[in-house]
Amino acid sequence: MSMQRIIGVMLLFFLVEGTLFYWLVPSSMVDRIIPHFTLAFVLFASLYRGRHSALILGMAFGLLQDLAFYGRIIGVHSFTMGLVGYMTALMMERRKSTLLMALTMIGLSTLVCDAIVYMIYRVFRLTNETFEWALYQHMIPSLFLQLLFSLAIYVPARRWFEGSFVAKKEEEES
Amino acid sequence: MRNRRMFVLMIVFILFVAVMGFSITDRKKLTWPENFALDSTSFVQQWLYRPAGYVAGLFQDLSNLHNIYKENEELRIAAAAYARDSIKFNMIDRENKRLQEKLNFTERQKKLYDYNYLIAQVVAVSQDPYDDTIRINLGSKDGIKLNMVVVTDKGLVGRITRVEPFFSSVMPLTKMSPTSPDSKGIAATVLGKELDSFGIVDTFDAETGKLYMSKISEHDPLKKGDTIITSGLGNVFPRGMVIGTVESSQVGDFGLTYTATITPAADFDHLTEVFVVQPVETEESEQ
Repeated sequence: MSMQRIIGVMLLFFLVEGTLFYWLVPSSMVDRIIPHFTLAFVLFASLYRGRHSALILGMAFGLLQDLAFYGRIIGVHSFTMGLVGYMTALMMERRKSTLLMALTMIGLSTLVCDAIVYMIYRVFRLTNETFEWALYQHMIPSLFLQLLFSLAIYVPARRWFEGSFVAKKEEEES
Repeated sequence: MRNRRMFVLMIVFILFVAVMGFSITDRKKLTWPENFALDSTSFVQQWLYRPAGYVAGLFQDLSNLHNIYKENEELRIAAAAYARDSIKFNMIDRENKRLQEKLNFTERQKKLYDYNYLIAQVVAVSQDPYDDTIRINLGSKDGIKLNMVVVTDKGLVGRITRVEPFFSSVMPLTKMSPTSPDSKGIAATVLGKELDSFGIVDTFDAETGKLYMSKISEHDPLKKGDTIITSGLGNVFPRGMVIGTVESSQVGDFGLTYTATITPAADFDHLTEVFVVQPVETEESEQ
């Protein structure tokens, strides 16, 4: 699948995050389950594509989120998603990821991403929550959602990201 | 190679910190790329949010069906009470107008507490636990300005923090904190004791889900169960918007003033329609 199509799918999921998905979550869990659908795609890109596409996708979709919901600060998601995507790709570059490995990495990276976002907000004094509370309140519940979502899209996402990459490589070689 | 990568990373890091530091300041006007990104995403989001809201609302209504009968009865009693009160209100209102004429109130003073309620539909809700932003489909073209107050039928929801041509962002009360650079305290008073009671609602505790009203004097008649409304003092927030009910009152941090815990009246989740409170514009107030 070409990059344009992947970006289209990601845009769709980005739009769903703040609208359709928001209504699927029961009222009591709204501020506890936070979707990171675009981050999942960025991490798939870093596992099965390469560090540069992960970096660019992460920064672009982070910036989109920052701009579309500009409330207090711009650049937090752009920075963290780019950084986390790049770092994950850097760590996993030489290894072949199986399903279990991919899920573990996505889970870990999502946690790291949440932690960095929390720290940035804390540094700029935009939140007074303690880290333990934030971890228990929304990071862990959203982690489960993220794992479920990654499991659901694992097969197609891997095919999309790996497929087009392999095809491109073969083209270059021939 | 290693060094260059490190160097680029540092530059990017500094760049991002600069952007964050710049964007956090109190910006009145946004640049056109920001306006474009905000307006165009909201334009698409509204086609997803509203149908989803209607469907979810339908299921909620079905499950609430058995309560309708009881609710209807209560509403009838309330409507009868309002009909009685409206006669009284009309007389007092006319009397008030006559007195204002006599005392030579200026046009601005007379219209100070007249508000228009503009109905707005929610378009999307931010999925960021530290930066809840509610997007509504009214913008500067519809007369929305910064710091206008947003309410639902139950009570105060928040205030407008960003305005673009066709959409705007609402910061809910749940993001109020005295230490953060972008939140404003709300001058508040008790319904029915407006002249004796005063305090500032300035903190929301996410862990308990309560608002805190501080700077209450020790002679204040405020007690448990009272309804807290905005006082309109300071003229930033309009008068008489319901904030919540008092749950408890305790001695504040320094022992000189009291702090009250308030249960917010409005529901901040799953909103579909909100009202923007617009003060009536007169020629004097525009100057």
